[in-house]
Amino acid sequence: MRGDKKTKLLAKQLFKLSLVNGEVSAAQVAGVLGYIEKIQPRQTLALLKLYHRAIAAEVAKSRALIEHAGPIGDSALKLVESAMTQKYHRAVTASAQRNDALFAGLRVRVGSDVYESTVAGQLAALAASL
Amino acid sequence: MSTVIEQIEQQIAQLSNKAVKKNTGHILTVADGVAKLDGLSDVMYNEMVQFPGGAIGIALNLEEDEVGCVILGDVSNLKEGDEVQTTGKLLSVPVGKALLGRVVDALGRPVDGKGPIDSKEFYPVEKIAPGIIVRKSVSQPLFTGIMAIDSMIPIGRGQRELIIGDRGTGKTTICIDTIINQGRINKVGLASGDKNFRPVYSIYVAIGQKQSNIVRTISALEAAGALEFTVIVAAPAADNPANQYIAPYSGASIGEWFMENGMDALIVYDDLSKHAVAYRQISLILKRPSGREAYPGDVFYLHSRLLERAARLDGKGSLTALPIVETLAGDVSAYIPTNIISITDGQIFLETDLFNQGIRPAVSVGLSVSRVGSSAQIKATKQVGGKLKGELAQFRELAAFAQFGSDLDAKTKAQLDRGSRIVELFKQPQLNPIAIELQVSVLWALQKEYFSSVEVKQVVGAAASLRDYLATRKDALLTKIRTKAALDAALDAELKTACDEWKGTFAAK
Repeated sequence: MRGDKKTKLLAKQLFKLSLVNGEVSAAQVAGVLGYIEKIQPRQTLALLKLYHRAIAAEVAKSRALIEHAGPIGDSALKLVESAMTQKYHRAVTASAQRNDALFAGLRVRVGSDVYESTVAGQLAALAASL
Repeated sequence: MSTVIEQIEQQIAQLSNKAVKKNTGHILTVADGVAKLDGLSDVMYNEMVQFPGGAIGIALNLEEDEVGCVILGDVSNLKEGDEVQTTGKLLSVPVGKALLGRVVDALGRPVDGKGPIDSKEFYPVEKIAPGIIVRKSVSQPLFTGIMAIDSMIPIGRGQRELIIGDRGTGKTTICIDTIINQGRINKVGLASGDKNFRPVYSIYVAIGQKQSNIVRTISALEAAGALEFTVIVAAPAADNPANQYIAPYSGASIGEWFMENGMDALIVYDDLSKHAVAYRQISLILKRPSGREAYPGDVFYLHSRLLERAARLDGKGSLTALPIVETLAGDVSAYIPTNIISITDGQIFLETDLFNQGIRPAVSVGLSVSRVGSSAQIKATKQVGGKLKGELAQFRELAAFAQFGSDLDAKTKAQLDRGSRIVELFKQPQLNPIAIELQVSVLWALQKEYFSSVEVKQVVGAAASLRDYLATRKDALLTKIRTKAALDAALDAELKTACDEWKGTFAAK
């Protein structure tokens, strides 16, 4: 469901209220959800969806999702974490997820950026260039 | 040898460890060839976006939390949540001489079944028009092969001349005739071995046309031997609006290659009314604010940035544009026609009434104008046709006045008589452009009253007979007119002899 202008504006305001020092605060989010539940604004579902999308996009910016095919150690995770923290000038936490379709290598996703260093990615690039 | 192998191994190692950064997003909605995307935080305006299944999109709306994107290609397999990624590239099309004689789509891909196009160069579809410093004023003629236009509304290389009129008044025909004439001139010029000869290559962009019409155009060009100097960019009515929106810009890029490489090119946009409609459709789906006739606010910029790309460059070549606009019930004051009239360097207005009266091409002399004027004419045409436009305009005025009374003085009768002969003389069958030297000869004969004794209804036949006579028997004279491009006393005398001879044969029939 797509909200109207007022709903979009409200979602944006609620999103801004959910940030503390530029990062999403769990306490603030809980407060916002409580507020929505209490006042039941127009187009609640649309509002919640828009709010969810904004929060998810913001949270994704502080998360490095590392997809890997082979084993990955804690040191590698720490290495990626520090590299991304330095690159994006914000605290980035890394989490690992196994993906055998990659064959080998790593794929790191931070927000809408993807760092591809996998065999599957290279094969796809090769196929596209042919 | 071992060091070489080590080097290769190092290279491989570097490649395999190299991480590639991609900027990705997801499809939120897809409707009518337009997708809304989230993510894509690094996307640039007009950047190509890669969709799954090989489809390509162009980012047109960069909003705070989503991106509006038109999709060029098959949208049937796309669904919500599909991952898309930026490419870092602007939309580009292949350019060069390899495209001549080919039919391509809006992205420059061949659609004529003649195999792949061997083109080494690519030009971006959207390009900033040449600036003031690099331009040169228009002074070289571009012959359409249509007497009424070449003698009264001359078009120069690098000019933008609008062809405007209701449906079925012969707008496309004028452009096809012009392309055919370029093909004919190119063949003669290249065969002559003249080093200074500059061929004109043509680009015909079909926007929102019926496929059958495009096929007919291709066949006409092929039959006239002009297809080898022509590129056809087809975005037919069945194509999605994004392709119809992009097609004229792709055509302009193909034409710019000729211009920037010191050659002359002609581009026909058939037609910009349908282009504006396609853009309106995209804009409405992208939820851009609509204005007059529901067109978006930047519909003027849509056409101005396209037509400004036609120019004559100093020390390089030129790109002449013939945009076509369709009017409704002859209303030239509608939104899109007035916009394009104000952008172009003149317009050729085709009237339904004239067309229905059998005056074809149905050029309205009063409403048609070329702002470049006689500077885009050869001296010979100026000598024989300089006063024609005034005479014809006067004739129309007198003819309207004469309807109210039957008693006319001798002078008025003579003017009406001469005017009706000029009208007849300018009648010309379609797909039959006339060489400039023949036009000059016929107009010279008109000036010297060779058609005065001919019945008005027979003037068309007499003019055709004179052209045939000159083409078959006076080739040397025609070559002289073509090469000298001006009439002197000697040529006058030769023309007089030739016309007298013709008059004798014509009267004997």
